[in-house]
Amino acid sequence: MSGVSVSGLVKAWGPVRALDGLTLDFPEGSFFGLLGPSGSGKTTLLRAIAGFVTPDAGTVRIGGQSVDGVPVERREIGMVFQSYALFPHMTVAGNLSFGLEVRRVPARERARRIDEALALVRLEGFGGRRPAELSGGQRQRVAMARAIVTRPRVLLLDEPLSALDRGLRTEMQIELRRIQREVGITAIFVTHDQEEALTLSDRIGILREGRLVREGPPRAVWDDPGDAFTARFLGAANLFTGTPEPGGLRLASGALLAGPPGRTTGCLAVRPEAMALSPVEPGAPNALPGRIAALVFAGATVTALVEAAGQQARVTGAPSAFEGLAEGQPVWLAWPPGRAAWVAPDRPGVATGK
Amino acid sequence: MSAAPLALSGRLWLGLMLVFLYAPILVMAAMSLNASPFYQLPFEASTRWYAKLWTNREILAAAWRSVWIALAVAAIATLIGSMAAIALWRHAVPGRRLLQALLFPPIAVPWLITGTAMLVFFFGIGLDRGSPAVILGHVALALPYVIVVVTARLQGFDPTLEEAARSLGARPLTVTLRITLPFLAPGIVAAALFAFAVSFDQFVVSYFLARPGDTTLPVLIYTAIRKGFTPEINAISTIVILVSMVLMLLVARLARFGGER
Amino acid sequence: MADRGERAATGRALAMLAPAYLWLLFAVFLPLAAMAWFSLLSDLPLRGREWHLTLANYRAFLDSPAYPALLWKSLRIAAVVTLLCLVAGFPCALVLARVIRGRSREALLLLVILPFWSNALVRVFSWTILLRPGGVLDAALSAVLPGEVRLGLAFTETAVVIGLVHSYVPYVILTAYLALQAIDQSLIEAARALGAGRLRILRRILLPLALPGLIAGAVLVFVPVAGSFMEPRLLGGRMGTTFGTVIEDQFVAVFNWPLGAALSFILLAVVLGILAAASPALRRSLG
Repeated sequence: MSGVSVSGLVKAWGPVRALDGLTLDFPEGSFFGLLGPSGSGKTTLLRAIAGFVTPDAGTVRIGGQSVDGVPVERREIGMVFQSYALFPHMTVAGNLSFGLEVRRVPARERARRIDEALALVRLEGFGGRRPAELSGGQRQRVAMARAIVTRPRVLLLDEPLSALDRGLRTEMQIELRRIQREVGITAIFVTHDQEEALTLSDRIGILREGRLVREGPPRAVWDDPGDAFTARFLGAANLFTGTPEPGGLRLASGALLAGPPGRTTGCLAVRPEAMALSPVEPGAPNALPGRIAALVFAGATVTALVEAAGQQARVTGAPSAFEGLAEGQPVWLAWPPGRAAWVAPDRPGVATGK
Repeated sequence: MSAAPLALSGRLWLGLMLVFLYAPILVMAAMSLNASPFYQLPFEASTRWYAKLWTNREILAAAWRSVWIALAVAAIATLIGSMAAIALWRHAVPGRRLLQALLFPPIAVPWLITGTAMLVFFFGIGLDRGSPAVILGHVALALPYVIVVVTARLQGFDPTLEEAARSLGARPLTVTLRITLPFLAPGIVAAALFAFAVSFDQFVVSYFLARPGDTTLPVLIYTAIRKGFTPEINAISTIVILVSMVLMLLVARLARFGGER
Repeated sequence: MADRGERAATGRALAMLAPAYLWLLFAVFLPLAAMAWFSLLSDLPLRGREWHLTLANYRAFLDSPAYPALLWKSLRIAAVVTLLCLVAGFPCALVLARVIRGRSREALLLLVILPFWSNALVRVFSWTILLRPGGVLDAALSAVLPGEVRLGLAFTETAVVIGLVHSYVPYVILTAYLALQAIDQSLIEAARALGAGRLRILRRILLPLALPGLIAGAVLVFVPVAGSFMEPRLLGGRMGTTFGTVIEDQFVAVFNWPLGAALSFILLAVVLGILAAASPALRRSLG
């Protein structure tokens, strides 16, 4: 078990820089989620750590030692693939045995460790089955068992749950977390599903165009995304631009929005679920007059699109919070100052994902 | 529905076509079991022509030569053809499209032209006619088929299986031996049978490249037919077509050739 | 841009490709080139023989009325055989692709293709048994029809055509089947929903969409038939002299290799011209 760190990683595919000087630490024993839009370099980063991609510059360290020039098979990694990549011509036990045989583990020890790994993923007695005879969730568990049975130093997971349907995915998220904790291995996983990243990870890293834009515990990143891109990529966010003042943000319309204390730069991001609507002016410090452009019913929640301060804001909440409101109706938009976050504005000329 | 008569006449036509395709072969097989040497009816069953085959030295020698040439061709073509198919599939080789296009001429150019060209070239470099020349030519004809059959099998192979094996600590050679080759095995066996059949059934190229006197079975049959019938030719022809049909049935089974998926 | 690892991988790939392609170079492409050169020689370059470069072999083709006529005959036979194969084969492919379903379809398809992949020489030989005067076909027809029937097909151009259609019709069925099978069923359902009858669907949807496959099949029949010599020889007898048999004779009977090479090369030029003209259709249907 070891931590992983990468520094100054660069990888270009022709004119496209998949990794652009990326530096990041994956602490020992952590479950680290890499998140970003497609083309952000997250998969390239994972494959560079595995050794399938040779970086043009920079260093990958596993357990403090550089693994540059070390081929995949000698990096002592475990990897779970999006397609699981179970060997179809081998049984479940054969799949698990493969990595042990390659390491010349004696037969008795192999059998013991295979049983142990199958027990860990709760597939006792499935050793004799073929991958084709397993359900999606079972294949996922076998892939996990195969990756950890060799006791790798680090576990790499490439979109491990994306092939499962929704209900099973939630169940497997909990399972993955449990297995990782029990083994205590450093795990790095790539996902495009932000909810999955927030649920599973101790820490998440947001990648964009081959660079790290934000890193930290999920809650901290959620509450303080740091820049407009992260705020919008993770969940949704209403962004207000204007002139920062000591008291908050002065909008072009003249209204002053109070922000959280501390740094007062850039623009203010407010999550749709932090906002509330009321037909009359509330006595709160942050209140903007507006008009409901649309009400969208989505079962557990309702989202209102509100025209306010010259832009469209999204407000999400329980259906009961929208009772008595109708499209076209003038309303007041309000939120507690502590629920807003100062974020750096988009770099000009750069398209934002999502 | 107006569909029924159309569909029915279609099925009928297909049935007639099958009769057209198989009747001559079945007649030949039947005649090889007819006691009369002149295809005279009524039919009188006999296996004397088959028995006579065993005493015909020339036919036995040609049959043996055909078999070992086909074995050599199958071995060589399967080895180098599979290697080429794997390389073309695994790597973004520069000029891949051109390399694939180059497989077409050996199949598409009439064998008469290929065969005479080989004769001229081999003669020019001092190799001349004989079994080595026949093997050289047959391997070239079989290679495109081997590459096509193995490539078809490779299409179903998930390359992340190789990555998974490497992530589990296997060296590239181990990956090839334990993951890639076992998956490819049915395709490779089908390709080998195919190559064997291409060589075993090949007449035109052998005709130009074999040394008169040490010929292969099809060349011997051709010369025998032109000289005038001997009833043993019926018998040996029946055996030849049975062998080639059984081979192709095996290929079809292994490679699902021509069917869906 | 490629890093060291990628360059090494390309090197490995080229090493794996080399044996196959060197073999093809040595056994196919160099021979074809050698033949071009040989066709320009005045005589076999054997010890003690005088030879020089000349266009005489090509002039021989043009000067003699026989060679162009035989080339024309070969191309005409090839055209007739191709047409018959299309007419006879397309309905079979249509039935296989659109009427018959399930396992029997697969079995029937295999049954159709099987002869194609079995020994061509023996199959032609089997026709000689069937067609010879007083042979099985005559005997069978005499038994059914009144009187003594003599078809007299043996050693005629018709016999050659029959044998060649027998040899190549499975190829047309296979290529047409693959083309028809690839047509999306929903297109046909859409046409039916628009009120098109079966024949209109065949004419307006199936035929146009299967056309590249049909052209590919036609070319793959026409080309080898134009270069055939064994079938005309065995089934045509004296009537079976074609461009192919003349080339054969130059190599195995007359031993005028330079002339044979020139004639082969002329045939190759015709064949390549046809392949080039059909290459868009070939590319589309053979991918």
